[in-house]
Amino acid sequence: MTDRTRLALLLAPALLVLGGLFLTGLGLTLLRSFRYMPALGLTEPDLAAYAAILTAPGFLASLAFSLWVAAASTLIAAVLALAAALLLRQTFPGRAVISFLVQLNLTVPHIVGAIGILYLFSQSGSFARLAHAAGLITTPAEFPILTQDPYGIGIILLYVWKELPFITLILLANMQTLGEDHEAVARSLGATRWQAFRHVLLPLLMPSLLAASALVFAFAFGAYEVPLILGAHAPKALPVLAWQASTDTDLATRPEAMAMAVVIALIGCALLAVYGRMLAKGGAGAR
Amino acid sequence: MTTLSLHGLRKTYPGVGQAAVHGLDLTVDSGSLTALLGPSGCGKTTTMKLIAGLLSPDAGEVALDGTPITTLPPERRGIAMVFQNPLLFPHLTIAQNIGFGLRMQRLPQTDIAERVAAMLARVRLDGLGDRRPAALSGGQQQRAALARALILQPKVLLLDEPLSSLDPSLRDEMRALIRTLQQETGITTLVVTHDQAEAVALADRIVLMLDGRLAQHGPPEDLYRRPASLAVARFFGGVNFIPGRSQGGLFQCPIGPLTLPPGAPQGDHILTLRPEALRLGPGANPRTGRIDFVTFLGTQTRVGLTVDGTALQALTTPDLAGQLVPGTDLTISLPPEALWLLPPE
Repeated sequence: MTDRTRLALLLAPALLVLGGLFLTGLGLTLLRSFRYMPALGLTEPDLAAYAAILTAPGFLASLAFSLWVAAASTLIAAVLALAAALLLRQTFPGRAVISFLVQLNLTVPHIVGAIGILYLFSQSGSFARLAHAAGLITTPAEFPILTQDPYGIGIILLYVWKELPFITLILLANMQTLGEDHEAVARSLGATRWQAFRHVLLPLLMPSLLAASALVFAFAFGAYEVPLILGAHAPKALPVLAWQASTDTDLATRPEAMAMAVVIALIGCALLAVYGRMLAKGGAGAR
Repeated sequence: MTTLSLHGLRKTYPGVGQAAVHGLDLTVDSGSLTALLGPSGCGKTTTMKLIAGLLSPDAGEVALDGTPITTLPPERRGIAMVFQNPLLFPHLTIAQNIGFGLRMQRLPQTDIAERVAAMLARVRLDGLGDRRPAALSGGQQQRAALARALILQPKVLLLDEPLSSLDPSLRDEMRALIRTLQQETGITTLVVTHDQAEAVALADRIVLMLDGRLAQHGPPEDLYRRPASLAVARFFGGVNFIPGRSQGGLFQCPIGPLTLPPGAPQGDHILTLRPEALRLGPGANPRTGRIDFVTFLGTQTRVGLTVDGTALQALTTPDLAGQLVPGTDLTISLPPEALWLLPPE
């Protein structure tokens, strides 16, 4: 057996999964988004599905909502994770306990977390009951609407809670590799604690912070289950809209669902491309 | 021109029983180039970090011209430190690295550019200002790190093993550069090193630290010829030690009475003389010994011999290596002016 054959054989299972499932799925999605579905008698591809979704009243609102939720979650989680990582790299009593608590929710599935948020923060949830017991509110309606709200507060809350430890862990690993010597040099050259952070540590951490943030953004933008549970009736997150269109009893909405999926994927790819360029820039600086 | 002084400086790391620095007292004279010398793990780098303010001492004081600075943060001490590794900021160019401290002081860009250009020329990095640190050689990086500290015109400059990350061929060049820049600027400079030859070649004064304590402080020649203790003598390559008693200008010891230099202290002592001071051939205080070994060292030859049961070593010119035969007898002499008495252990 030549090396080339051996290589091909070893790669075959992974390529089969990747090519067979992913690429076929992607291809079918694309075909259907162009309204090519011979089973339904559609054999002339066109862009009608794209035209339909782009002009549908809910679509742009859903797109904006999804971008907002993803951006807000990523930004808040990134800032808090940076603070947590800065705290956790220091040695202090109880550090191990806090470190454990921060990482604990990495193991909780998103859907379980979403239901937890619903139980805690809804108007009939635990916090509303506590507020009532404390005499702060008299009826459930007085409790602020934090879940299934039009701003996606509940969704953002869940994503921040869930993704914060992920970014923190990546930053901590990066800080460990960097050590504290560069900051010590900066201090001895007259930089204040803040300046050493702002002009030395932060630029050095930027590539890993961007990498982790991009992953969080892509997930928050494309995930479906959390906004389904914690989202409002309108606007719906884009993935929820796409899922509902694709499970509609009216098969004619199928191409529109596929078109939405393609739009979600395209936006994701575009963001990853932008991120890749930023990373290349930051990476060149860090080398 | 600033005098740096340390009073009773003490530091113990958490979880480590022994103190890294034990109540260190030290004065670094204004404008001097002083070497803080000691084996690795003797507390040198800890001392540097305590002076720079990167660590805080458990007890004691750091003062500049008599003014305590122990509680000041590092950025307000006017002390710049160059680390063992260049540690240039990888995300900045060489020029931005050198101008870093000035930028932190919020100086105008034009002033910074002017001073950085002048500094680049002084450390012979002209034309490399736009490069990233990774594009420079190790020697160039270390020169940039030195420039980055010197441009601030600090009151005190601390250099932590500045030559150890360099290839041997680059060390002489860097040593000369440090020496020249220090003499031109007159900045009080403390250099940490574990290499006695480097300390001797570089510094006006040497502070020898052993086990977190000050063992001896003085001009390099003193530490070589007039060590304060057995440990100091050993650190500087001393190998000849003969216990005995000094009385009326004579040293009574296992190899018979030896004439001492005038003014030698009385009582029990350990006599030492440097291997290069032990003469082969007849002279003052002559003895006959049997050659144990002859080692050719390139620029020198090391001869081991036994005189009345006492092992001694001599360093001599390399051309004698062939004439000295192990197992044969050899006449040697111990010049009185080279004899030095150490306190008994």
